[in-house]
Amino acid sequence: MNLERDGDYITLSMGPHHPATHGVLRLEVTTDGEVITACKPDIGYLHRSIEKIAENLEWYQFVPYTDRVDYVCAMNSNHAWVCAVEALLATGAETKLEIPERAQYIRVLFAELNRISSHMIGLGAMTMDMGAFTPFIHAIGQRELVNDIFEKTCGARLTYNYMCVGGVVRDLHPGAEDEARAFLDGLEKVMREFHALITTNNIFVGRLAGVAPVSAADALSYGLSGPNLRGSGIDFDLRRDKPYGIYDRFRFDVPVGKRFAGDRGALGDGYDRFVCRSLEVQESIRICRQVLDQMPPASGKEDDPVGGWCVSKAAQKALRKPPVGEIYFRCENPRGETGYHLVSDGTKVPYRAKIRTGSFCALSIFEKICPGLMIADLVALIGSFDIVLPEVDR
Amino acid sequence: MTLSVGPVSDSLAAWFAGRGIPALPSEILAIAVVCALPVLGIVFPIAGVAQYFERKIAGGVQRRKGPMVGANGIVDLVCDLLLFWQPRWKRRAFARSLERAPVLGPVLGLVRRWGLGAIAADGVKMFLKEDMAPEGADKLLFFGSTYVALLGSFLAFAVFPFSQSFHMGDPPVAALYLGAVTGLVAVSILKAGWSSNNKWSHFGGIRAVAMIVSYETPITLSIATVCMWSGTMSLQGIVAAQFRPGILSFTGWNLFQSPFLALVAGVYYVAALAECNRAPFDLSEGESELVGGFHTEYSGLRWGLFFIAEYSDMILVGGIFATLFLGGYQSPFLEDRIVALPPLAEALVHTAIVCAKFLASIGFMMWIRWTLPRFRIDQVMNLAWTKLVPLALLCLFGTALTQLWLSGRVPVAPVVHGRYLSAPVVRPDLLSWAISWIVVGGLLAALVVWAKKEGSPKPAQVRKLLGEEGA
Repeated sequence: MNLERDGDYITLSMGPHHPATHGVLRLEVTTDGEVITACKPDIGYLHRSIEKIAENLEWYQFVPYTDRVDYVCAMNSNHAWVCAVEALLATGAETKLEIPERAQYIRVLFAELNRISSHMIGLGAMTMDMGAFTPFIHAIGQRELVNDIFEKTCGARLTYNYMCVGGVVRDLHPGAEDEARAFLDGLEKVMREFHALITTNNIFVGRLAGVAPVSAADALSYGLSGPNLRGSGIDFDLRRDKPYGIYDRFRFDVPVGKRFAGDRGALGDGYDRFVCRSLEVQESIRICRQVLDQMPPASGKEDDPVGGWCVSKAAQKALRKPPVGEIYFRCENPRGETGYHLVSDGTKVPYRAKIRTGSFCALSIFEKICPGLMIADLVALIGSFDIVLPEVDR
Repeated sequence: MTLSVGPVSDSLAAWFAGRGIPALPSEILAIAVVCALPVLGIVFPIAGVAQYFERKIAGGVQRRKGPMVGANGIVDLVCDLLLFWQPRWKRRAFARSLERAPVLGPVLGLVRRWGLGAIAADGVKMFLKEDMAPEGADKLLFFGSTYVALLGSFLAFAVFPFSQSFHMGDPPVAALYLGAVTGLVAVSILKAGWSSNNKWSHFGGIRAVAMIVSYETPITLSIATVCMWSGTMSLQGIVAAQFRPGILSFTGWNLFQSPFLALVAGVYYVAALAECNRAPFDLSEGESELVGGFHTEYSGLRWGLFFIAEYSDMILVGGIFATLFLGGYQSPFLEDRIVALPPLAEALVHTAIVCAKFLASIGFMMWIRWTLPRFRIDQVMNLAWTKLVPLALLCLFGTALTQLWLSGRVPVAPVVHGRYLSAPVVRPDLLSWAISWIVVGGLLAALVVWAKKEGSPKPAQVRKLLGEEGA
C-alpha cells in the first residue's frame, strides 16, 4: 500500500466527496495516526460565479440566484438581497419604497421559519455526522413541514424565489397562519424529544465538550458570525443590535455560549455552538408567534399599504433608475451574517455585487483550530460550524 | 468404532443406514448434516434477513415505516424482462398482479405491506453488482479477508450448544476456543483495511484492531468469571449448572445468581458490542468519518459477506450471552419437562428457545444502534481500560469471594440436566442470595447515586431545551 509519506505523517484528502463534508468541500488533512497536525480547506468545487452573474442581470432578476447562494436557507438569502436593494433605493429620495405592513410580517415569518428549518438541517446533520441517525430523521421531518408551508405559498420546496423588491411575490395561501401555528406547536414537542434523545446524551456531550474551543478573540479576528460567534460568548445579533425590516418590533433573547457542557467543556466548544443553535430555534418560535399575532389581515389588494403584499409598480419604476452609489447591507442568516455590498452606477444592472457569507469565514478558522484534533473531531467540527458549501463557493 | 456427535446424528445415521448406505459413510454424512445445520440452517438465513429487520427497527425508532415496497420493483423487473416489447401490457400485468389476480394479488399485497420484497431486492442487487478490487490492492488479502471474517464467526458455532442433542461438539475448553476463533475477526478487518490501498479503509482496519484487542480483555475476564462460578469451561457444563427443576426454571440463571454476575453480564454485553463493531462502537466502519471504513472498497456480494459476518457475530454474541447468563437453551419455565422430551423434540424446542434469546439480543443491539451516537477512539479505549476492565476484575474477585463465602454455607454439588452433569457448583439459598444482593446491590446503587450527584449539573439553558420546569 502506498502511503504518501511526509516524515511520519499521512496526508489525507478528505473530500470533495466525503460523507461528512456536507457538499463538495475538500480538506487536505495531515495526520499523525488519527491526530491531525494540519488541515487546509480547499474550496471552489461549487463555484458558480454568482457574483459575476449579478453584474449581468437586472436588480430584481438576481433574486433566484440568491436562492442558490445558500439553498438550505433560501428565504433568508432572498430576504438579505431584497433588503439590500431596498436600502440602496432608499438612499435616493424619490426611489424610496414603502413596503406594505403585511409584506414585512410575511418576510419575517418566512425568514424565521426558514431559520428553523435551516437549523434543523444543521443540528440534525451534526448528530448524523456523529453516528446518531435518528435525531437527524426527527429534525428533517420538521424541515419537511416548513417546506410544505412554503410550497403551498410559493410553489417550491428548496429554492423559493419568493421575496421581491417591494414586498413578496404573492400573499400567503389561505390557512397559512393556522398551519404555521400548528407547526410551531408540533415543533416544540418534537424538539423536546430531540434534546432528550441527543443533546443531553452523555456520549454526545463527551464527543463535543472541550473539543476545539474558539476563543472570543479568535472568533472576532476570524470574522465568525451568527451562532458560531455567539457560541464563543459574544453577545451580538444583527436582528437585535442593528435591526433591519421590522425586527425591532419583536421581543426575543439572544442565546450566548456559556460553557454549556459544564466542567468538561470550554467556552466556544462544539457543544456551545450546538446548544446556541438549539436555543435559537426556540427564539425563532417566539418571533414567529409574535408575527402571527401582530400580522395585519390580507386586504386582497396588492399594493395596499397595510394588508397588501407588494408595491411592484413602484419597485419596477425605482429599479429602472436606482441612485448612484454603494451600500453594504447585512442580515442575520442562520449561518451567520450575510452581507451584500452593492455598487450602483445608476443603471438597471448592478455594477458590482459582493456577497459576504458566514460559512466562508467559519471555514477560514479551520487551519488554526484543527491541529491536535482527531479525525472524528474534525467531522464533528464541520457539523458544529454548520458549513454549507454553496455559501462558501458561491 | 462409531462416529457420533450426539443422539440427533445417531438417529440420522441410522436413517441413512436404513436406506442401504454403509455404516461409516452414513455416520460421516449424519455428522456433516448436523454440523452444517446450525450455520446453513440458522445463522446464515437469519444474518441474511437481518438487514431487513435492521431497517424495520430503524424505521420504528425513527417513527417511519421502513421498507414498504420492494415487490413493486421485482414485479417491475420480471415484467420488463418478459414483456419488454410491449410496455402497455406490462402496465396491465403490473396492475393485475397487485390488485386483481386471485392468488398473486393478496400475496404481493402482503409482501408490499411489509416490504418483504426488500430482502429479495437486496439479495439480487448484491449478486448482480460487479466484484472488483481497487487498483494497487493486495488481491490475495483483499479477496481472502472476506472468508476469514466469515470463518471467524462461523467456527465459533462449532461449540455453541443449540440444545442437548443438537450441537457439533462440546470440548472441555469451549470457552477458550471461543476466545481464540472470534479473534479472527480482527485479523480479517485489519487485512481488509490494509489490502484495499485506501487510507480510509486502513484507518478503519487499525481502529478495529485497537478496539477488538482491547475489548478482548473485559470479554475474557467476564467469561472467566462465569467459568469460575460454574467450575467448567465446557459450554454444556455452564448451561447444565444453571438448571433448576420446577416451574420457575429461570431462578437458576447466572444473571440472577449474584450481583457480581449481573454486573459482569453488563460488562460482557458492552464489550461484545465493541467486539462485533456495532454502534456505538462502530468506529471501524464509521460511515460519516471513514466513508465506509474497512469495507469502503468492497462491492457486491463480497461486501454482503462482511455484513453476514457482522450479523452472525451478533448472533454469536447474543447466543453466548444467553449461554453464559440466561441459561443457554433452557426455557425460563418448566425446563425439567422440556429436557425430558425425546431427543428430536427436545432439540427443536431448545433450538427455538435459544434462537428467541439471541434474536431478542439482536433486536436490542439494533435499538442501541439507532439511538446512540458514536464514540471517539480515545473514549472507546478509556471505556475499555479504565471502566470495563476494572469492573470485570471487581466482578471476578467478588464472585470468587461469594463462592468462598457460600461454600461454607450451602452444599457444593453437581447439577444433573438431562444428559449433562455439571461440575460441582454452589447454589445460593434464599437467605444468602438476599444478603448478597442487598449488600452488593445497595453499594452499587449508592455509587450510582453518588456519581449522578457529582456529575456536572445541567445549565438552565439546557434544561430549558428539555422543557423542564424551573428553567
